[in-house]
Amino acid sequence: MRVLLVEDEVRLAENLAAALRDGPGFAVDWAEDGLAGDEFARQPCYDLIVLDLMLPKLDGLNLLKRLRARRDATPVLILTAKDGADSIIQLLNAGADDYLAKPFDLGELIARAKALIRRGKGAAHPTLNVLDLSVNTLEQTVCRRGVVVDLSPTEYRVLEYLIHRPRVIVSKRELLEHLYDYNWEHHSNVIEVHVSNLRKKLDAAVPDGEPIVETMRGRGYRLAPGLPLDDRPGAEAGAGFNMDRDEGQ
Amino acid sequence: MKFSRRTRSWLPRSIAFRLIIAVLAVELLSAVLVVALSFGYERHIHFHAFDVMLHGRADSILGAVQDAEDPGDSLMLDQADLHISPEDIYEVRDQAGRVLGRSANWQGTEIAQGSGAEGPPQPWGEILRPTVNGQRYRVLRMRGSRTVDPGEQGGGKQRTVTIIYGAPTYHVWHAIRGAVEFYAAGSIVLLLVTGPLIAWLLHRGLLPLRQLAALAAQVSVDSWQFSPPASARTTPELAPLTQALESVLQRLERSFVQQRAFVSDAAHELKTAVAVQKSSLQLLNMKRRSAQEYQAGLERCLVDSLRLEALVADMLTLARAESPAPEARRQPGADLAACVRQAIAQLETVAALRGVKVSLAQAAEGASISTVQVPIPFGDCTLLISNLLLNALQHSPSASTVELRLMDEAGSVVLVIQDQGDGIPAEALPHVFDRFYRGDPSRGRNTGGTGLGLAISKAIVHKAGGTIEIASQADANLPSQGTTATVRLPVFSSP
Repeated sequence: MRVLLVEDEVRLAENLAAALRDGPGFAVDWAEDGLAGDEFARQPCYDLIVLDLMLPKLDGLNLLKRLRARRDATPVLILTAKDGADSIIQLLNAGADDYLAKPFDLGELIARAKALIRRGKGAAHPTLNVLDLSVNTLEQTVCRRGVVVDLSPTEYRVLEYLIHRPRVIVSKRELLEHLYDYNWEHHSNVIEVHVSNLRKKLDAAVPDGEPIVETMRGRGYRLAPGLPLDDRPGAEAGAGFNMDRDEGQ
Repeated sequence: MKFSRRTRSWLPRSIAFRLIIAVLAVELLSAVLVVALSFGYERHIHFHAFDVMLHGRADSILGAVQDAEDPGDSLMLDQADLHISPEDIYEVRDQAGRVLGRSANWQGTEIAQGSGAEGPPQPWGEILRPTVNGQRYRVLRMRGSRTVDPGEQGGGKQRTVTIIYGAPTYHVWHAIRGAVEFYAAGSIVLLLVTGPLIAWLLHRGLLPLRQLAALAAQVSVDSWQFSPPASARTTPELAPLTQALESVLQRLERSFVQQRAFVSDAAHELKTAVAVQKSSLQLLNMKRRSAQEYQAGLERCLVDSLRLEALVADMLTLARAESPAPEARRQPGADLAACVRQAIAQLETVAALRGVKVSLAQAAEGASISTVQVPIPFGDCTLLISNLLLNALQHSPSASTVELRLMDEAGSVVLVIQDQGDGIPAEALPHVFDRFYRGDPSRGRNTGGTGLGLAISKAIVHKAGGTIEIASQADANLPSQGTTATVRLPVFSSP
């Protein structure tokens, strides 16, 4: 999952980025002011925006309004040093999904970030189940038919992204965009290696089972191709609003 | 408000009460004057009529003086034809002083002597005011002449008689008293009627004042809305008060808004600084780390807490610099040139690190400036200069020069700090002295400043009664002129 962090306080941004990378393993991009944040947010690759309110050039509230004005539904978590219900009501009414008052707890921030991403993809529970596959996003553990599958951090992140979108063809580019930040050297064959390893590990857990990750040559990957259409987690919630343009590539 | 309650409840010393008392006092005075004037006028009118009446009666008595038809051509008074009120007195004498006739109740021989004429001489005779039979009389003494034997040759003989005629005056006084009593009673009735009327009118007349007070009372820290009623604006007496109230409220509101903004900004800065520290520690604690990682993390935490410390110190400095201390101007202060040298020494390493040269120039008459004293404590003066110098250094490209100039002006000393940096954009220039304002937002926090340096400098200069200006020209199309900070401070003159 990829998070955009808009925060002008350098040290705080460093800490937040480190925590989001280390903890849930998100890719994090950092914008130092409101205008840069607005530019970054135009890329449809973010699963969450963590937004400070008091920003130079363009403040957080106006950035949020711009975002929502162009029908961008990316979940937004606001960091605010302001007290008072008025300001919070104004924020929520402007389209914020959640807020945290400074000084906040890093653990709480991570939990809220995860919850917002999950909700944004239409899943209410932190444990996601597709067919015989079960992913616990809190413990970052994966089971297939009760057998624990040991994954590397990158393999887990690929699976975590795919399991939010079962049956959907996810392009390599989409995976890259959502798993790596701008500081990463993009090499699509890196993804191929990780997906290949992920598939091997998942299939090894159940020797007689069907392959759960399907490779569509030249188009991308598909998790759980055999899943009935109405059994997708969060299908009715219209998951993956900002990824649709990648579908079918 | 106290004031409006007083006008409403008629307490002593309320304006309405005082006005009513004043008006009633004036009314009472005029009533007394009216009574006095009417008394004088009535007395004059009545006594004039009385005198005319006396004259008429005396004339009728003269008419009754007849020739006695005796050899001496003497006169006689024919009293048979006279119809005279029994209270009146009269006496008629001839030239020789012989009494021709007098009334039955005549007593006053001293009147006849003609002594003690009182009052202004009347064209027809003299007026006397004797007391006869215990009553006050008004008496006319006149001379009349009769011609005896007008048919004779030479037109007859002229005989002069003196007629004294008096009548009691009590009924005249009675009439005068009646008239005066009428006026007095009228005045009292007028007083009694106008008293409440004035009270009511004043109550109505002071309505704009009460409305103004009621509206002013609604103003509070949370609601600065003050729209004075049109009546208060158009009333000449209330217009200055309304304007004063409005401007005072506007100034108060502005300073309240500023203070509130400062508190909000300060809270934001402090919370952010605390958030940095907290997140640094929590990040360190998120998983087990190597000793080197812990050490690096602790060093970062230390840097974070140093920043928090600097922020708190700057906020306290600003609060101290902004607190009013009028006696500061009278205290002997620091040697400005020494402060400049101290500030340069403090920032030597910063300048060296950035590769910027700092030059100090003094004007031609610099010899006198080297010992000039400004009314600022040494520490604050050095802080002021080092803040400005640090600002200049931070915005200077390497291998450039920051120039400090000290100049003497009439009664004041001018310090100019000029850099050769990129300048400040025109839209940022009005805000450079704002608290927590960072002229270059994208890197403002990286330079480690708290955003209070210039606000502190301004507060220090203002406290000393000086001025501070920052001029800059930042235009993409023009070569940069750099930024010039000009501080003008009054010179402390030893008594």
